[in-house]
Amino acid sequence: MNPVPAAALLGGLAVAALLADRTASVAVIAAILLAFCFRAPRRRRWPYLVGTLASGLVLFLLSPLLGSYGGVVYWEGPSIPVLGRLDVTSNELEEALYQGLRLIAVGLAFAAYALLLDHDRLMQAGGWLRRSVLAIALATRLFPTLERDAAGYVEALRGRGVAVEGLRGRARLLSPLLAGSLERSLNLAESMEARGFGRPGRTRAPRAAWRPIDRVAVVAAALLVVGGVLWF
Amino acid sequence: MVLARVEGLTYRHPEAERPALEDVSLELHPGELVCVLGPSGSGKSTLLRALAGLVPHFHGGSFVGRVELGGRDTRRARPSELAGMVASVFQDPEDQVVFTQVENEVEFGLENLGVPPTEIPRRAREALGAVGIGRLAMRRTPELSAGELQRVCLAAALALRPQLLLLDEPTSQLDPAAAAGLLELLAELDATVVVSEQRPARPLEHCDRVLFLEAGRLLLDAPRETALEWLAANRPAYLGRSRSDHREAPVTGDPILVMDEVAYSYAENRGVGPSSLELARGEVVALAGPNGSGKTTLAKLAAGLLEPQQGEIVRGGRPAYLSQDPGRYVVAERVDEEVALGVGGDHERARAALHTVGLTGYDDRHPRDLSSGERERVALASVLVTDPELLVLDEPTRGMDPERKNALAQLLRREAAKRATVVVTHDLRFAADVADRLVALGAHQEAVVAA
Repeated sequence: MNPVPAAALLGGLAVAALLADRTASVAVIAAILLAFCFRAPRRRRWPYLVGTLASGLVLFLLSPLLGSYGGVVYWEGPSIPVLGRLDVTSNELEEALYQGLRLIAVGLAFAAYALLLDHDRLMQAGGWLRRSVLAIALATRLFPTLERDAAGYVEALRGRGVAVEGLRGRARLLSPLLAGSLERSLNLAESMEARGFGRPGRTRAPRAAWRPIDRVAVVAAALLVVGGVLWF
Repeated sequence: MVLARVEGLTYRHPEAERPALEDVSLELHPGELVCVLGPSGSGKSTLLRALAGLVPHFHGGSFVGRVELGGRDTRRARPSELAGMVASVFQDPEDQVVFTQVENEVEFGLENLGVPPTEIPRRAREALGAVGIGRLAMRRTPELSAGELQRVCLAAALALRPQLLLLDEPTSQLDPAAAAGLLELLAELDATVVVSEQRPARPLEHCDRVLFLEAGRLLLDAPRETALEWLAANRPAYLGRSRSDHREAPVTGDPILVMDEVAYSYAENRGVGPSSLELARGEVVALAGPNGSGKTTLAKLAAGLLEPQQGEIVRGGRPAYLSQDPGRYVVAERVDEEVALGVGGDHERARAALHTVGLTGYDDRHPRDLSSGERERVALASVLVTDPELLVLDEPTRGMDPERKNALAQLLRREAAKRATVVVTHDLRFAADVADRLVALGAHQEAVVAA
């Protein structure tokens, strides 16, 4: 699928999850997005899935304690200054499940975007915004690159018998990581200039024409938003 | 007819004590294949950057003299304006890749040059095919091996169909077959090609002319035959004439490493299949094989950086591992502190290790200020200083000039009795100099004891 309608579809699902009133609707959207994410390689998808599901779980566990929605009281705890009495009620659990699933659905939409879409093509679709979107594309690569660099430093240190443990041990890597990313950015800029970046009169490689499924995806994205407002 | 002319070029990097290039003059003619040789830090990369106009535009510094490309003074034309007429591939492929998909990466330069849109995909595919990686067009660049990435960068340069192609150690991460294929391809190109190389044997077979730089000065600019005579008389190491002599049987002692049917697979289906390897103290084993055959994985398993998913490993001593990326040895602010990291900050031992690798007096330099070859030696010192009983070196000669390679081979042989040594290398000449045995990993990741 073309990345533009694919992104629209993911965006539509995320917006529908945010607009939907029914917990079941949000759960269905989250399940669909989870199924999308499972199409990514296991090694790449697990940090996204663990991060998203853990965030949703934390929200589900904390919000009943902090919220106050009435209903049948299942548990009553101590009274804490500012927060008041801690309790868990049936309505609070329902609300926590709803909010947790919304967070999970939005997180999974982002995960599917990060894991499955061809970001190069998506960014190139920016057309006249090319310079800005290229900068954004390169900036979004910063964290995966830093992660890879950090793993490389740790491995090289382990290779000479130096254990990198704890916050202090990892903090030692911050300075070389920063210096390394600056060095890399200079090298990349040099390479881009050597390949004519910034020259007037650039063209674009032809992009694949939209197929019927791409058009269906855009219509589906619009319907999801409308559905989120009216029916879900 | 002259394609490029360098006249009296003296260039000094900002804040450098001595010039990187000093009074260099030369001419490049259409269709020539020129090989640039010289020790690490001799100015080879700077010369290539000057020919692309990146020096001084991108790097600043002091520039005296003149460089002309197709009649245009490079001081007056920006590198982006010269792009297309000239194309460059730099040393580190990871730092050159802009996009996350191979095909997009190769198309990037064509788009910048304003090539008609209908031509772009065809030229990109042709270039990928020319370097033998047409099958990788839709792959993600972060998932490629260093050798594959190097070929992507070559394809991106070839796609531009430049009149002048500048290649800075383009075979440093390629296996011998791929390197040979690339050099044959370069020899067939209509373009003028300037190749800086630290594995000069094959380029010397194919080139028309040789330049030899030392300390920024052009010591030699001669046709191939004359250059071979000069090298034989003055720099025999560049002709692969080894000074190391270790043909006596290795003195082998207690077993240090036993790998029994070990296997490891990454998620993207790379890794190493069931492989066995045994090393005794005193042995030096070279691990060779095509790009992606699992050499690095096997080396990491041997050094204990990866745990095998299958099989068993028994080590009879403390291992140490040298990563193939010397950029990983820049954690400290000074060279001596970097080397001392592995021995609890013992600067005395660090200085001794630096002396061993020929970096005496580099103690207070910042590791990032060194050339790639010098960084490689800092990395080597950082590992040797720990005095391991199992030494695993992953591509230790990358960016190292032939004389340094000889010195390294001699060093490893001299210290061989202390430990078992595994050397992963694409440089078969170096492997022959240093190793008692060569273990070749096949394309399908099976281990074969070759000799």
